[in-house]
Amino acid sequence: MDANIKGKFKQILEGKVKYTSGNLAVNMLISRLQKKIAADPGSFDACIQEIDAFAAKYPSIVQTDYAKILAL
Amino acid sequence: MLVSLDKTISLINEGKVLHIAADDSLLSQLPKGNWIGGTTPYFISEEGGMLTKDKLFVNEIDFAEEIRIDSYGKYNVFQVVDDCYDNGLTMIILPFGSEVLAKYAKEAPEVEELLMHPIVGWVSGLDLNVGGEAKVYDGKTGESYTDKAVVMYMKLPDDKSAMINIVNIFEDDKTDAAITFPDNTLSVTGCKVNGQDVNFADYIAKKGIDTQMPLVADYNGVFINTSIKEVGEGKVDLYAPVFKGVEYRFATHVSDYAKEFEKRINEAGAGSPFFSCNCILNYLYGNLEGQKTPPYAGPVTFGEVAYQLLNQTLVYCEIV
Repeated sequence: MDANIKGKFKQILEGKVKYTSGNLAVNMLISRLQKKIAADPGSFDACIQEIDAFAAKYPSIVQTDYAKILAL
Repeated sequence: MLVSLDKTISLINEGKVLHIAADDSLLSQLPKGNWIGGTTPYFISEEGGMLTKDKLFVNEIDFAEEIRIDSYGKYNVFQVVDDCYDNGLTMIILPFGSEVLAKYAKEAPEVEELLMHPIVGWVSGLDLNVGGEAKVYDGKTGESYTDKAVVMYMKLPDDKSAMINIVNIFEDDKTDAAITFPDNTLSVTGCKVNGQDVNFADYIAKKGIDTQMPLVADYNGVFINTSIKEVGEGKVDLYAPVFKGVEYRFATHVSDYAKEFEKRINEAGAGSPFFSCNCILNYLYGNLEGQKTPPYAGPVTFGEVAYQLLNQTLVYCEIV
């Protein structure tokens, strides 16, 4: 994952920046990872791996989200 | 669409791949074939909401390259994430009141692989005026179950994907008290309201809360409902679990469900769903008999699945 997008995801997962996707699965994923980070702040890298895995499986969905997240 | 028994039998015998919702008296007459089904006599059809035991709601699945049908009990229901096609859609039907439903409801949100594979479905039910058992049907074998989930795996062409989404007419009031729960549970005694320990049943009674309004949690901008089944002595039973670490509020009051659905559907932009379902609680509390929710038509269900179990929600799936 690109460093810029990773930085943005860190802010989203820590609840410092709000981003809502148009895709239900992406929102459920972000919500679950926010819960995971809140319970274990050291789990950030594992959360990014999950996002990477989702992005690899659904590149067209995630590309739209990545563009919007970078513009936040 | 709603069709006759003869028409449904004809479609099955032609080898069509079908998802079927109907009263058990009709499903039990169907021949073996490429179909799965679940019991409900309630529908929101193109003609409006209705209870009927004369017709079946049939979705033809004409976009799949291959399909497989299987059934799972409470010990192996999450095998669905391993058994599905890599680029596919999984449709699951679970019987109301079953242990496999309770297992799926409580654990699905924590199954990491679940969001990697689109899974949509519903909870089968029964005629509330008559009673009986909720069932699911595996058309391939002709078997029906009250204790297993039936699953159809659909393989999609490489250039297609399944998009699952919801229409929820409820939202929370951010100024209202925040409620959290100590465990993932379908039956609540204690909870915290704005950080204070209280008994949930006492809190509902003291505040005079309208329990036809669900609890709502904000999942990153998407509102997910949990409906109240029964408020008992010191205990509240739920139709879907509440989860530890998630903040809930009661939904703001909705007076005209049909109008609210129309508004939300217009806001979201109506799609072209191959499947949709809506909740029995919306049908009953919102008096949706005779009401339409275009372009969404389908069974009225005893729980909805969009990856995880949902309540009081319209769920739909498009192939794009």
